[in-house]
Amino acid sequence: MRKTLAKNIFLNINSIKKFRTIKIQVDFLRPLKKEETTSRRLLANVMSNSTANYPSFRSINDREMELYGSEINVFTRNLLNFNDLAFSVEFADPNFLIDGQTQIKDNLELLNEIIFKPNLAGKEFDHISFETEKRNLISNLISIQDNQDLVSTLGLTKLIYQNNPDRQVPIFGSVDQLNNLTNEKLLEMYQDVIQNDTIVINVVGNVDEEKFAEDILTSGFYTQMNSERPDLKIEFDKFNQLIANPAEKIEHKHLNQSRIALAFATEGVSKKFNRLAPQIMNLILGGDDQSQLFQQVREKNSLAYSVSSTYQPLSHLVTIQAGLDSDSVQKALELISQQIDFIKNGKFSDNQVQHAQKVMLTRRKIATDSIQYYIMRSIWETVYPKTLMSDEQFQAELDNLDREHIASVANNLHAIAQYQLIGDSND
Amino acid sequence: MTEKLEKQTKKLNNGLQINVVPMPGFNQVYGVAMANFGSVDTQTNKGTLPAGIAHFIEHKLFAKPNYDVSEKFAQYGANSNAYTSYTKTAYLFQTLDNPYDNLKILLDLIQNPYFTDKNVASERGIIDQEIQMYLDMPEWVLEQRILSKLYPNDPIAEDIAGSSDSLKQINRQNLLSTYQQNYRPDNMNLVLVGDVDFEKVENIVEKSNFHQVDTPLQKINRQFDPIGRGGFEKMDISQARSAYGIRIDTEMSGYNLVKEQFQLNMIMETLIGESSKNYQEMSNLGLIDDSFSYNVVAENNYCFIIISGSNNNPQKFQEYLRNHLTYDSLKEVLTDAKFNRIKRDAIGSYLFAQNAPEAIANQMAELYFYDVDYLELINMIDSIKKEDVLMIAEKFLKDNNSTYYNLLPNRK
Repeated sequence: MRKTLAKNIFLNINSIKKFRTIKIQVDFLRPLKKEETTSRRLLANVMSNSTANYPSFRSINDREMELYGSEINVFTRNLLNFNDLAFSVEFADPNFLIDGQTQIKDNLELLNEIIFKPNLAGKEFDHISFETEKRNLISNLISIQDNQDLVSTLGLTKLIYQNNPDRQVPIFGSVDQLNNLTNEKLLEMYQDVIQNDTIVINVVGNVDEEKFAEDILTSGFYTQMNSERPDLKIEFDKFNQLIANPAEKIEHKHLNQSRIALAFATEGVSKKFNRLAPQIMNLILGGDDQSQLFQQVREKNSLAYSVSSTYQPLSHLVTIQAGLDSDSVQKALELISQQIDFIKNGKFSDNQVQHAQKVMLTRRKIATDSIQYYIMRSIWETVYPKTLMSDEQFQAELDNLDREHIASVANNLHAIAQYQLIGDSND
Repeated sequence: MTEKLEKQTKKLNNGLQINVVPMPGFNQVYGVAMANFGSVDTQTNKGTLPAGIAHFIEHKLFAKPNYDVSEKFAQYGANSNAYTSYTKTAYLFQTLDNPYDNLKILLDLIQNPYFTDKNVASERGIIDQEIQMYLDMPEWVLEQRILSKLYPNDPIAEDIAGSSDSLKQINRQNLLSTYQQNYRPDNMNLVLVGDVDFEKVENIVEKSNFHQVDTPLQKINRQFDPIGRGGFEKMDISQARSAYGIRIDTEMSGYNLVKEQFQLNMIMETLIGESSKNYQEMSNLGLIDDSFSYNVVAENNYCFIIISGSNNNPQKFQEYLRNHLTYDSLKEVLTDAKFNRIKRDAIGSYLFAQNAPEAIANQMAELYFYDVDYLELINMIDSIKKEDVLMIAEKFLKDNNSTYYNLLPNRK
């Protein structure tokens, strides 16, 4: 069931019986702005810390446990050129509980409490909640420096988006911005979010759609979410400058293992070509354990334990990451380049193409065994339906794949960024 | 109406247990074969094996003459993987189609070793890279260090993958003899979750080349050295990490050990879980951040709790835990209402896991070695009484079974 509650406020209810849990997720979307990234993340943390009626983290947790371990989750993420502040509650389907009591209304009320009844002290959030979460977030941001895979990903992202200031601040924020963020400013941000963000509500699980819609429309949710919101404008980054002048950065750290991360734009691939060709090309290049990178860099040359490539369909970027000895970096870069040439020159076998087709189909169907798949699909249907394919369209695209299209994607790969995190030498 | 999970099960004449759990509405079939053999199993009657040998076998079993098993799985549309823990090794596949062909490949994977000097040498380089990757992860290093304090000189203190040095001692011969010792039907079990026919599965497994072994399984009685004093080391990290460990020298095994693990989890949840007064207080005092966690491990011969997180004041953190992880504190806060909430939470977690075929298969395979039926876990949790939990706490929350380890930033 789909309903529009007001302009740019959407409700999607998907009654599916196969899961043991029910999930309600509310996504608040607005364009990414570098000034807001940190405050939206802190807002997520402060709002899940306490509420007006559950004034401590402890009391919220007690309530979650009472409801058979309901899981409240509040987080931010990038979605297209938007910042998505998402609130969710997932809870056990009462049909599987020992006492079988229904808790849909209780869980809806708990989510309503988290989103719309913040723990306030005058014109600010509760002082303890704010200070605790600010300190926590600073601590987490410092710890990130010790996660070398993430450091390498962030290093690459910074290079890729060097011409887009709004993407320069990582989605989890920055210590500098946090230090300057006041409690009062955070509350202003909250009020702005509640009044102006586009909202997508999704419900997935064993629910009666009509009854659930009625519960939503008669709950605190609806009274807070019936005012219209501005339209969202979808924008994509252009990488022309980087294609002309690729970005490169090498950093050194005392590490046992070095990391390399590379990004390629796929500009110039004919629009008439198969929509799945880039993903098939990526699977052959480094998408799984049968790929060229895995077989040549890891299995044949024993250079790396982890090496893979990923295709990002919205930005049309291919990224490659590997962890290896600092002494092997040059050899690995040469091997990576050889694997791209291998595809460019059409040397891949028909078996490799068939395998990639099979993997694409399998991944798509297995994804439907997860509750999150339905929520994401529904968000895309609401925000950017163009990106979705029906099962029939997907199958038709797979069936019509052409080797020439796959090679063409590789021929249109343009190196735009390379980040190296170099550790200690083994010598 | 959604059905509750059910299973079909049989122990074959060769000693291998097979379980099949249908998952109506799910597209995938997930299969796992698990051996009751992990990284700690390095002590044999003939001496000590190099650290990391279980993990090396896990990697190298995929190699067969002229083909690699992952390639075969891929041909039949499955993706495959494997993992080694302290006490278990598991091989798994996930597929949409051809479940029976993929089952045959899984059986080939676990039954037909092909170790050569050449393929062993090439795997060493890959595993060495895996070890180097983990050595850059402070949380992983910290776990090894605290285990070396809880169980001094015991194999559990070694990295699951071994070390660059121990890898050099692993060769074709010791891989094969260790494989033969542990990969036998009565030391393994097989679980398939999804839409498969039990009789077909049984038939395929019966026909496979997995023979009963008459010699009894080797059992090692572990004797542990006394718990070591706390320690620290400096590392190139941005923030200190601290671990507090408690060793539980329990006489429980099998079903009772699993039940005790639930009870210990309930104690920890009450004393330092997110709904506890202590969690709130540690958070307000700045002693913990979001990385704070506790983990109760109860596996063959080993039972311990590790509490860890990033913090700027490891000493105060440990002092706080020492003062608050006590039977008296628990008695004060574990009211009937609190106990019921914690029990409900445990039941909820059990149901959450049932959304994932892989979680069902892996837990069912693991619990088999403890004589626990995964589908009956909900009843086990429901049968736990507050008095049992208090009794366990009185027995194990004492001064002389804990230690700590800190990783401190190497500031220049």
